[in-house]
Amino acid sequence: MHDFASVHPCTWCDGCGDYGIWSAAKRALAELQISPWQVLLCFDVGCHGNMSDKIEAYRFHGLHGRVIPLAAGASLANPTIPVIAFGGDGASFSEGVGHLVHAVRSNYRMTFILHNNANYGLTTGQASALTPQDKKMNSSPNGIPESTLNSMDFVFSLKPTFVARGWSGDIAQMTKILMTAIRHRGFAYVDILQACPTYNKFATHEWLMEHCYDANAEGHDPRDFAKARALAVDTQNRVATGILYQTEEVPAFHEHLKPREGVTTTPVEEVKIVDTSKWERSFA
Amino acid sequence: MVRVAIKIVGAQGQGVNSVGEMCAKGLKRSGFCVFGYREYMSLIKGGHSSYQLDVSAEDVRSSTTRVDIVVTFNHHGLEKNLRDIKKGGILLHQTPQWKFKNPEDQAFIAEQKIRVIELPTDAILKKLKAKPILGNVLITAVVWSLLSQPEEQLRALVREQFGHKKDLLDLNFACIAEGFAVCKVIAPGITLSLPKPDSKWKDQLLLTGSQAMGLGIIHAGCRVYVGYPMTPSSPILTFIADMQNETGMAVKQAEDEITAAQMMVGAMHMGTRAITATSGGGFDLMTETLSLTGITETPAVFILAQRPGPGTALPTWTAQGDLTLAVGAGHGEYTRLVMAASDTQDSFDLLPEAFNFAEEFQIPVIVLTDKHLGEALFTQSAFDQTIAKLRRGRLVTDLRELAQLKPADRYDPAAGDGVSKRWLPGSEAATYCAQGDEHAPDGSVTEDAENARQQMEKRLKKMAALKAALPEPLYVGPKNPETLIVSWGSNRGVIFDVLESAEMKKKNIGYLHYQYLWPLKTESFEMLSRTAKRTVFVECNHGGQLASLLKLACGRDVTQKILKFDGRPFLFEELREKLLSSLTPPSAPLRAGNPSLDRRGA
Repeated sequence: MHDFASVHPCTWCDGCGDYGIWSAAKRALAELQISPWQVLLCFDVGCHGNMSDKIEAYRFHGLHGRVIPLAAGASLANPTIPVIAFGGDGASFSEGVGHLVHAVRSNYRMTFILHNNANYGLTTGQASALTPQDKKMNSSPNGIPESTLNSMDFVFSLKPTFVARGWSGDIAQMTKILMTAIRHRGFAYVDILQACPTYNKFATHEWLMEHCYDANAEGHDPRDFAKARALAVDTQNRVATGILYQTEEVPAFHEHLKPREGVTTTPVEEVKIVDTSKWERSFA
Repeated sequence: MVRVAIKIVGAQGQGVNSVGEMCAKGLKRSGFCVFGYREYMSLIKGGHSSYQLDVSAEDVRSSTTRVDIVVTFNHHGLEKNLRDIKKGGILLHQTPQWKFKNPEDQAFIAEQKIRVIELPTDAILKKLKAKPILGNVLITAVVWSLLSQPEEQLRALVREQFGHKKDLLDLNFACIAEGFAVCKVIAPGITLSLPKPDSKWKDQLLLTGSQAMGLGIIHAGCRVYVGYPMTPSSPILTFIADMQNETGMAVKQAEDEITAAQMMVGAMHMGTRAITATSGGGFDLMTETLSLTGITETPAVFILAQRPGPGTALPTWTAQGDLTLAVGAGHGEYTRLVMAASDTQDSFDLLPEAFNFAEEFQIPVIVLTDKHLGEALFTQSAFDQTIAKLRRGRLVTDLRELAQLKPADRYDPAAGDGVSKRWLPGSEAATYCAQGDEHAPDGSVTEDAENARQQMEKRLKKMAALKAALPEPLYVGPKNPETLIVSWGSNRGVIFDVLESAEMKKKNIGYLHYQYLWPLKTESFEMLSRTAKRTVFVECNHGGQLASLLKLACGRDVTQKILKFDGRPFLFEELREKLLSSLTPPSAPLRAGNPSLDRRGA
């Protein structure tokens, strides 16, 4: 795990859920025996994005809302390198929500970790699409006019092939989830509810500890789509965590590509000047 | 140059393109150079579209204003395209019992001695029990007969297309025979003579700029294509997609242009060659991604296929209005390369260079093209496959060298020319962050002032090295021309044709053509325009964008400009006339509102 240790000190607030997610990510990679040079971590813009120089690995810190297509392109170029994309709820359900929709339906081979603290932390605490409507947040002292998006209901409607939920205080569970997610065939959606002591006064570390429970330990079968959806969507009394849904039957995006069938090299290994004369004959 | 022009018009979906393509192919195989120009509207069926073929035994790369024959599928052509016909030309139509009611039309026909020929298509197809679609080959046969081309030529073409479908083939052959027979009846003694053919054209390729660019993309070793449909870039997506099973490329039709740009960048970062193509509006959406590559120093290649703007404007027409966009888009300051293709030859040749420069300098590269180049049909010699080389710059792949790397090598501000080492995810080496924030050499985030200054300098230092690596623009003409023409992109063809024409050949004119538009090499321009009496820019935009950029780059304010911004390319006679008047000094003092004669600062 210390292979992944960076020389740069973390800058998150005291008690930020990012510390937990960061630890779990390193642990999962270490336990999978993946070396820093064997993985690509992609970050969006947000507090989570400040992880981009707090961990050793090949990393890309790009534009707000755009981590998913960037990671998808990288994965397509070299499907043998695990690609993990990290994004906040602001990035993923507002700016970049279109990318999330199409990434789930495309089933790109990648892990997507949602840093879900139900607000825009780095820009000082505005409401996100996942913030409960009545909460007073920065720039919305009267709550927000828009209805809160039920992120799990939304994601399940896209026919995902892997959905998991964890919370930032349970590092062991997050580690297990991430280890499975990283090995998933297609798009692994991992929702991590995270404490944000500075701006989120409702889903605090204590609240999450109280309300989150391990659904797998209680016998939930992740092969049951309907049950998984019902479990995921209902967070009234308790919040189901663990691997909620998983199928390995659906091919990843690149596996659908007929031109790539049976090709043993990756696009990265195929860069060379190509003779096109045989294809020119049809123009004569 | 002796040329014959055939213009086929009709509603979209009627067969204008099929007939045009068939005629083009047949004529080329007979030994002619063919240049095809298409006009169509933003509709799927209906509207009014045209396909004009300019045919010669010599090189022809432009369209003439008035044609020898108009072939019209419907009565709209009879109304709209009558005046496109030269004196003594032919109007071939298939509208039964058509009469020109307009007295001006009648006068035009009489005065210009236009031969109006009616082909009874419906009656013939009925007789042969053939479906309406066979009307295409029937009318082509009539044109073929008028051109005195051998019937077997046409049969061979049809055989190529339908060889395996015997019934369809027989029906096609029957229509061809009927076409030849009926031609003698409806157009007795009428022929459209072609010049003597030159066999050198027979085996050349007939393809559009988009197809040539597609081949160039494949040739360059590009393995991933991500695009979003937008006219006039969509044919490139279609071509690459149609070729994917042959080439093994991964093709993704993204959900929007931002996705397309981001996926391309992700794929390039991982280490393959990837590309995206769009038009002005789509490129606008990609500009934040463009800016990102400026700071992460990730190689990127964007094709910007221009059409008129602003907004939606004329989706299916042409323009050169996005040069300044390509040069200035994407916030912040960083090094980029802007290139422009001109014809099928450099649409092919420039793509490997685009990727090479992108990787050598770790910069975004924008390749401009336009609807005119993309959709025109060119007669092209087989592409030389030996010219392009693979250049990947300071990409480290050697295992021992990788083992020596430190994270701070990635964005080392002391690197020569500002180009630091780059290595790929998955390489056994120290790791780094490709960082969108301002960063220290290892890609970690820092807001330090001195570091910011150093990194900015590093990134902009690349500009000088890039400029030094670029070739000078292409010059054709006398050593000290009296008149210097400067242009870029798809104007090249019409400019060459005009300069080759009888009147122009006598004038002392040189032509400087730019393929690399930013950074701008100005040495030859400055030298030539200083000694020339006048410098004339030819551009399809309102602002004379290349002229403005050259003024920015070297201070020379030469304001003679021939500009066109109506969605159409320059036609042969039009440009010739405009150029001739720019050569004539005005006898009266300068009048306001005549910018092409404005001599300030020349």
